[in-house]
Amino acid sequence: MRLVWALGSWLVLACLSLADDVSPARLLVAKRLLNNMLVEGKDLLVQYGLYNVGGQAGLDVRLIDLGFPPDDFEHVVGEHSVRFTAWMWPSTLKAAFSGGNVTYNVVVRPRSYGYYNFTAAQVTYLPTEESTQIQVGYSSHPGQYGILSSKDYERRYSPHVMDWGAFALMCIPTLAIPYLLFYKSASKYQALMKHSKRQ
Amino acid sequence: MAPGKQKVLSKEEELLLQDFSRSVSKKSSALFYGNAFIVSAIPIWLFWRIHLMDPMKSALLFAAITLASSWLVAFAYRNTKFVLKHKVALKREEAITREINKKFADDKKMSKKEKDDRILWKKNEVADYEATTFSIFYNNALFLALIIVISCYILKSFSPSMNYTLSVGLASGLIALLSTGSQ
Repeated sequence: MRLVWALGSWLVLACLSLADDVSPARLLVAKRLLNNMLVEGKDLLVQYGLYNVGGQAGLDVRLIDLGFPPDDFEHVVGEHSVRFTAWMWPSTLKAAFSGGNVTYNVVVRPRSYGYYNFTAAQVTYLPTEESTQIQVGYSSHPGQYGILSSKDYERRYSPHVMDWGAFALMCIPTLAIPYLLFYKSASKYQALMKHSKRQ
Repeated sequence: MAPGKQKVLSKEEELLLQDFSRSVSKKSSALFYGNAFIVSAIPIWLFWRIHLMDPMKSALLFAAITLASSWLVAFAYRNTKFVLKHKVALKREEAITREINKKFADDKKMSKKEKDDRILWKKNEVADYEATTFSIFYNNALFLALIIVISCYILKSFSPSMNYTLSVGLASGLIALLSTGSQ
């Protein structure tokens, strides 16, 4: 009985000491642009990866990216339940569990072309359950990217099937009519020659 | 011929002159310029829809290049027709002679000279017609093929307006140059 009591006490102490050693949540955030090519007026997929490398779950995690102002980007797809204000689009993730990760995707459309500096997103969270002080962190920042104008993109990559078809239709009369007129006359005299040679 | 005196040409001489001269009738000239204008205007579509040039902003450039190209293409038509006409006349001579002889075989009143004149006239007409139509076909085909190759492959990295100016200029210039050959 004494042995069981001693063993139980030791286990409780061990658990308490372990609980003291558990480090608070630490979130690493990666912001990535998944498109190979950024084009004016075309969808641009932005992915945020949140990785918790701490020992505890991060609570009340909020991701805010001010890098896509509505003057420069049209917001297409995000989390629908999130309230969208004029200068930010926040995402509230209830908890990022210890050692876990969350990815969050947003689709935007650039309104203009040229070089654009994609800055870091901000993440705020409570590092422990007891904590009252909000921890603030920043994502990786993708840096400067060139956005291709839709005109340049169309010129380089669009197949223009209908336009080439119309071009072919315009070319056909200028080639077919003179050739048919020539062929009609030429075949008439060639046939006449063949016929007279047979006779 | 003494200076100041003007010799009146006979119909035969006029026909012979027309046969050997590079000048074309007003009707042929209108046909050449009309065709040349149409084929020169086709690249506007290519540069508007595929190379995405703004037609309103580039209207002056389009008009100037189309007119210059029309003149060069019409020049190529004329030269090619002149070269072809003699070849076609030689090729068709026998068939036309047989056709005329067959047609007037029963007409005993027609003299040999009159028959020869008819053969000559018909030969000139057929050669003129075939040379004109083939010249238009050949130069149009060459012009359009050059436009596609130059604008979409050789000058594709150039700005659209520079690409248009150079490709239409080069294509029409090249067919005009090639038409000056005697073969």
